[in-house]
Amino acid sequence: MRAPRSLVQLIGPVGLVVAAALVGATVSRTTEIYFINALVAVSMVVALYVFVGNSGVLSFGHISFVAVGAWTAGVLSVPEAEKPAFMPYLFGFLRDTTVGNVESLVLAGVVAGVFALLVGLPLMRLSGLAAGIATFAVLEITNNVLRYYENVGPGLNTFSSVPETTGLTQAALGALVVIVIAFAYQRSRFGRQLRAAREDPAAARAVGVSIYRQRLAAFALSGFLAGLAGGLYVHFLPLQIDGVYLDLTFITLAMLVIGGATSLWGAVVGALAVSALDSVLANAETGITILGWSFDVPAGTRLVVVSALMALVLILRPSGLTGGKELAFGSLRRLRPAPAEAVE
Amino acid sequence: MSAVLASGLTDFLRDAVDPQVQADAMGLGAIFALMAVGIGLVFGVLRLINFAYGQLIMAGGFALAFASERGWPVVAGIALCVVVVVGLSLVMERIVFRPLRGQSPASMLVATFAVAFLLQSIALIWFGPLGKNAISLVELNQPVSIGSVEVRKISVVSLATALVALALLVLLLNRTSIGLHMRAAALDFPTARLVGVRANAVSAVAVVLAGLLAATGAVLLTVQYPTVTPTFALRETIIVLAGVVLGGMNRLYSATLGGFAIGYVFGVLGGALPTNQSQYLTSFVFALVIVVLLLRPEGLFTRGGRVVERV
Amino acid sequence: MSDSALAVSELEVAYGAVPAVRGVSFAVGEGEIVGLIGPNGAGKSTTLHAIVGLVPARGGDVTLRGRSLRGWSPERIARAGVALVPEGRRLFAELTVEENLRLGLAARRENGSARDALAEVFALFPVLEEFRRRHAGALSGGQQQQLAIARALVAKPSVLLLDEPSLGLAPTIVDLVFSTLAQIRDRGLAILLVEQRAQRTVALADRTHVLANGELRLELTPRDAGDTDRMIAAYLA
Repeated sequence: MRAPRSLVQLIGPVGLVVAAALVGATVSRTTEIYFINALVAVSMVVALYVFVGNSGVLSFGHISFVAVGAWTAGVLSVPEAEKPAFMPYLFGFLRDTTVGNVESLVLAGVVAGVFALLVGLPLMRLSGLAAGIATFAVLEITNNVLRYYENVGPGLNTFSSVPETTGLTQAALGALVVIVIAFAYQRSRFGRQLRAAREDPAAARAVGVSIYRQRLAAFALSGFLAGLAGGLYVHFLPLQIDGVYLDLTFITLAMLVIGGATSLWGAVVGALAVSALDSVLANAETGITILGWSFDVPAGTRLVVVSALMALVLILRPSGLTGGKELAFGSLRRLRPAPAEAVE
Repeated sequence: MSAVLASGLTDFLRDAVDPQVQADAMGLGAIFALMAVGIGLVFGVLRLINFAYGQLIMAGGFALAFASERGWPVVAGIALCVVVVVGLSLVMERIVFRPLRGQSPASMLVATFAVAFLLQSIALIWFGPLGKNAISLVELNQPVSIGSVEVRKISVVSLATALVALALLVLLLNRTSIGLHMRAAALDFPTARLVGVRANAVSAVAVVLAGLLAATGAVLLTVQYPTVTPTFALRETIIVLAGVVLGGMNRLYSATLGGFAIGYVFGVLGGALPTNQSQYLTSFVFALVIVVLLLRPEGLFTRGGRVVERV
Repeated sequence: MSDSALAVSELEVAYGAVPAVRGVSFAVGEGEIVGLIGPNGAGKSTTLHAIVGLVPARGGDVTLRGRSLRGWSPERIARAGVALVPEGRRLFAELTVEENLRLGLAARRENGSARDALAEVFALFPVLEEFRRRHAGALSGGQQQQLAIARALVAKPSVLLLDEPSLGLAPTIVDLVFSTLAQIRDRGLAILLVEQRAQRTVALADRTHVLANGELRLELTPRDAGDTDRMIAAYLA
């Protein structure tokens, strides 16, 4: 009975992504960009969710993995003839290797996943505030190295001439792959153990769950997915190091928190809702008319609205728009009893 | 090869002990120490790492630029800076920190992260990405002779200001009843409330003091970097946060020392290392942060003692 | 009941879905000691915590001279004249004895000099004056308990609540604590004493309530002190 019932929970996230892709296919070329951007955001936020949502441990470091994935896919997909123009100091093996679109995405995930595994080996011993700061340190180090180490990428230059393969189809397929992997993980024994440990670490330890190993596994998987998302990203627009730093860290965290950090549904809803809002505001910054009202808001309004929204959600509804629960349908809603209040 | 290395090292050492480099490093350390105290005070009382601390300094910087562009006297500019920073601190305390009281430190950190971006993006709308100039005090960059060596005035002023501010703070914490209440709240907030310490008053005073320190930091920083942009002091705040964690954030003095040390190290290495080496300084510092978190979560400058695990 | 210094009526407290205190009512008058005894988990500490605002009451009321304290913050209740000597003392170990006492002054309503207030508690507990510059954490258990009581008294409260003040103390110190309570009762304080030592409590207190399963079951007076244990055992059996 478990399989069909749990698969129902996949309908919401998958349906939403498919719907976004279908709507995106009907709009103009300029508007389509927003849909692609939103679908890439879904991949990033779901990747972040795999660790943060399941473990309950904060991470400011996931954009490191997005950046590593983007660098991997970007460096390896630029045609060899174009590389010296903006990446003159590349290592020989990077200069002389070029791979196809799919290979570059897989490699992006693998390299970022291995990187996350190595970083996680020491870091997953930490939790709470210490973990938050340590993952922030990872972001700073990764950014610092990618910014100046021109043997592995363009440094401060922009990634030009990466084949722009991330159209609507690839963005949607990528988001679906990430969602399905995230779902399979959270339904697996490993995912369930980690979620149990999030709710009650002592009880989880008492039944023999190694929180450290479970966190490490989630961190590595989440790094893999973030790397894949980074690959999608670099194939979407010409990326520069500041594009995968604090702002993206903030916006993805905001999406996760606003949607509801403890459910896949929340991650997807948050990514799409904030992206939608962001797109409307981006248009409003250039002046638009909705339902007869014309908006003309100053440039930068998007970040003001999103950050104010995030602060408000944290203060008023810390569990996010979805309450951090998976989407349930009609008669299936009551299959699981509401969790009892914590007892002191 | 080794000759090149040796001459590089000689250059480095010669530059590192240069009085000007040393004075600049100490001046920077002093500013960072002030910022570290501001962050540490709020953390001590509210158990909240205020990521938006840099944006308070940024707001102070814009206040100084506003005054400077209108040709206000220096004192009026500083007064405006204090009013803006302290006012903003109080608003932040009232509408963000206070409602978040009792939530996990991690979610409070995310919330202040949001506030930081909020203030930064408001500044972007208001003042544009290129920012404004605060030039009322730039003459402090002129050198002054101390004995036979010449150092910049601002280095001396920063050091002196920091020492006076810290001395005043120590007096306040140790000699007044609100200071005692703050120390008690930092040790055990629930019990402090139980004996009648007013939570709201204590947290407001902590935030105001931190705001005064941020305003001081804004004045000193604008001398060195007169162009105030929406990302003004962001870099510095991130580095100070690392310093606070390295020093040990459970104690005010260790946080202060951590802030000073990291500013000093940045000053010396930044002044003495060639750019192609000093550019990885950030990585080195943050790698150290990770090592300290793993090995000495209570910080480098704390004497063993109890480690409070806050999960 | 309204003229009582402290009145608890129909108090209900629950942790989540689990009720901890169920419809408890009692009153403490000025110059009176009321005891509250009962087995572990009976709801004694929870009752105290509800009175001082550490846990919210789900139902019923707590009044101080007829004024309801519902929804008040702990510091407001402390400043209104209700002082708690918490279980485990909860001193600030890293602060000195004098600093701990000065913290107690935070809740003081009248504006007498701090020195006089300290002098008064030093008269009750001379050892504290001797060690006033020492860290509270460096004191012995008995000295710490004296400091905890002194910290509560220095605020000149009208109601004093004590949560198992004799726990883990040497017999001579227990004697000192109980005789001090008798002494300060005569100054007109209303005292609510939660204790494990049933017999001594019944002997000292004007009335003692027996609490079990969150409910008041029995009221004892000093006349029952001789065979408290037998009466409680018989009742709870």
